[in-house]
Amino acid sequence: MIILENINLTLGNRGILFDVNAEIPDTTWTCLVGPNGAGKTSLLKVILGTSPYSGSATDNSIEIYRNHDRNVAFVPQHPQIPAGMSVAEYVMLGRAKKDGWGTESKSSRNLVADTLKLTGLFGMQSQMISHLSGGEMQRALIARALVQEPDLILLDEPTSALDLHHQIAVLNSIEILKQRGVTIISTMHDITLAAMYADHIIVMQNGRILLSGASAQVVHSPELKSAFDNRINVFTLDSGRPVVMPTKDGLVD
Amino acid sequence: MSGEELRSIWRWQITLFAALLLLVIALLGISFGPIHIPFTSILRSFLGMDSHLSEQDRSVLFDIRLPRVILAALVGSALATSGAVYQTVFRNPLADPYLLGAAAGAGLGATIAITNSHGNLYGLLPAFAFSGAILAVVVSFFISGKFFAEPNSLLLSGIAVGSFATAVQTYLQQRHSASLRPVYSWILGELTAASWQVVTWSAIYIGVALIILLIVAKQLDGLMLTDEEAYSLGINPNKIRVIAVIAATLATATAVAASGLIGFVGIVVPHLVRGLTHRVTNRALPTIAITGAGFLVLADLGARTLLSPAELPIGIITAFVGAPFFLFVLRRKRLINQ
Repeated sequence: MIILENINLTLGNRGILFDVNAEIPDTTWTCLVGPNGAGKTSLLKVILGTSPYSGSATDNSIEIYRNHDRNVAFVPQHPQIPAGMSVAEYVMLGRAKKDGWGTESKSSRNLVADTLKLTGLFGMQSQMISHLSGGEMQRALIARALVQEPDLILLDEPTSALDLHHQIAVLNSIEILKQRGVTIISTMHDITLAAMYADHIIVMQNGRILLSGASAQVVHSPELKSAFDNRINVFTLDSGRPVVMPTKDGLVD
Repeated sequence: MSGEELRSIWRWQITLFAALLLLVIALLGISFGPIHIPFTSILRSFLGMDSHLSEQDRSVLFDIRLPRVILAALVGSALATSGAVYQTVFRNPLADPYLLGAAAGAGLGATIAITNSHGNLYGLLPAFAFSGAILAVVVSFFISGKFFAEPNSLLLSGIAVGSFATAVQTYLQQRHSASLRPVYSWILGELTAASWQVVTWSAIYIGVALIILLIVAKQLDGLMLTDEEAYSLGINPNKIRVIAVIAATLATATAVAASGLIGFVGIVVPHLVRGLTHRVTNRALPTIAITGAGFLVLADLGARTLLSPAELPIGIITAFVGAPFFLFVLRRKRLINQ
C-alpha cells in the first residue's frame, strides 16, 4: 500500500504539488487524470523516489525517497532513445538490476525472448531501438518494464501519441501486469479509457487532488464536470460503461 | 525465437580483431623509422634469443621505439575512451576529452613552464600541464554548480574556463615571444619525449583511469536513458556521471601531460567503432580503447616516416587522416540522425 500524506513539492519558487493525500492499494490499477500541468507526472516521480518532497510518502510503510530496495518500473512519456542499441538490448536493460549491468543470465535471455513475443515485438529484436515507430517504442518500454518483474509500475501517459489500435494493445499489455499482481499507477488524459481499465481514478488540478475513488464513482460524480469547467458530458453505454465526451458549445449540450 | 538467439549482442570477435590489429600496428611502429629493424630481430629480442642486432640498434629498439610505441598506445586509448565516456555522459556526440577546459588548462600550464624566467622549469612541463588540465576541469565543475540538473551547464562553463585559460596563455606567449615555437609545437602534440620514465607514470595514471572506466562502463548505458528510467533500473545516474568524469579527466590530463594536445582521437575513434559495429558505450568501450591505441600508434608511425628523417607533429596526422575518414563514416552511417 502506498500512502501519501501532505505531499508538497516546490521546484525553484514554483509550487508543483500542494497537500496531496492519497492511499493506493496493492495490486490495483490507479489512474491519475487531469489537464496538462496538473502535477500528474510530478506525483509519479515522487512515488518513483526521484523527486524530493515534503510530507510523507511510504510504500509498505517505508519512506519512498531514495529507497533503493524497491523494484519499481518506470515508463516515461518522453523516453530518451539511445542510438546504437538493439531492441533486445533495450529490453534486456530491465534485467540489469537483477543480473548486474552488462551481464545477462540465461533465464533473463529466455524471459526477454518470451516477453518480446508477448508484446508483439517478435522478430524485431535485432532492429535498432531508434528505428521503431511510436507504437513499437511504447511496447518496447512496456516489455522492458515486464522483464523487470516489478512490484509497482509507473506509466506516464502510456497511450498518448498512439492510434486507437495501439492504445488498446498497450493497455492490454498493462492489464497482463495487473493479472500478475503488480500495482499499477498511470497518468492518462483520456478519462473514458481510464474508466474502462483502471480500478481507481484520482483527478488532479493545479497540483491538488480534486477527487479520488473507484473509477465508476469518480466518472459519474458532479465534481468531475466542474473540474473540467463543465465542458464535458458523461454518457453511459448500454453495457454500462461510461463515456466522457467534450462539449462543444451548442453541439452536445 | 529462443533466448539463445539473443546471445550475440556483442560479437567478441570484433574486440579480438581490434587487439590483433593493434599488435600488428605496434610491430610496424617498432620496426619502421629512420633505422629499420626487421620483424624477426624484434621478435627474437623480445623472446630473449640472439637477435643479431648491433648495440646501437638494440638501443634504438629498447630505449626509443618501444617506449614511444607504448606511450602512443596509452595516450590513444586514454583519449578514445575518455571521448566515448564524455559523449555518453553529456549525451552529446561532439563531446571530446578536451571539452571541459582540460586542453586549454594544460596549454596554460605548459606555457607557464616554458615561459618561466626563474630557472628552467621545462623538465616540469608534464606536471604543469597535468595540473593545469585538472585545475581547469575542477573550476568548470564548481562554476557550473547545477551539473546534476543540467549536464550542458558543465559543458558551457568548460568552454568559458577554456577561453579564459587560452586568453592568459596567449598573453604570456606575447610577453615571451621566444616561447612561441616550443609552445606551438607542444600544442600540436609530440611523442618525442617518450622515455621509460614518462611511460611508467603515464601507464599508472591511465591504467587506473581505464580500469575505473571499464568498470562503470557497464552502467553507462543507463545514462543514455532519462534519469528516472536509470534510477528505476537500479543505478544512481549522478554518481555514475561524477565517477566517469573524474576518471576520464584523469586519463585526459595524463595523456596531455605526456604528449601535448593530440586532437581528434577522442571523437573519431569512438564514432568509428560505434559506426562500424552499430554498438554503444558499454560493450564497445574495450574495443574503443584498443582501437584508440592502434590509431595513435599508426598516426605516430606516419608522423615519423612520411617526411623522414624530419618529423611531423602527430596532431597534424590525426586530423589530416582522421577528419576525412570520420566524414566518410558519418555519411555512411548517418550517425547524427540515429
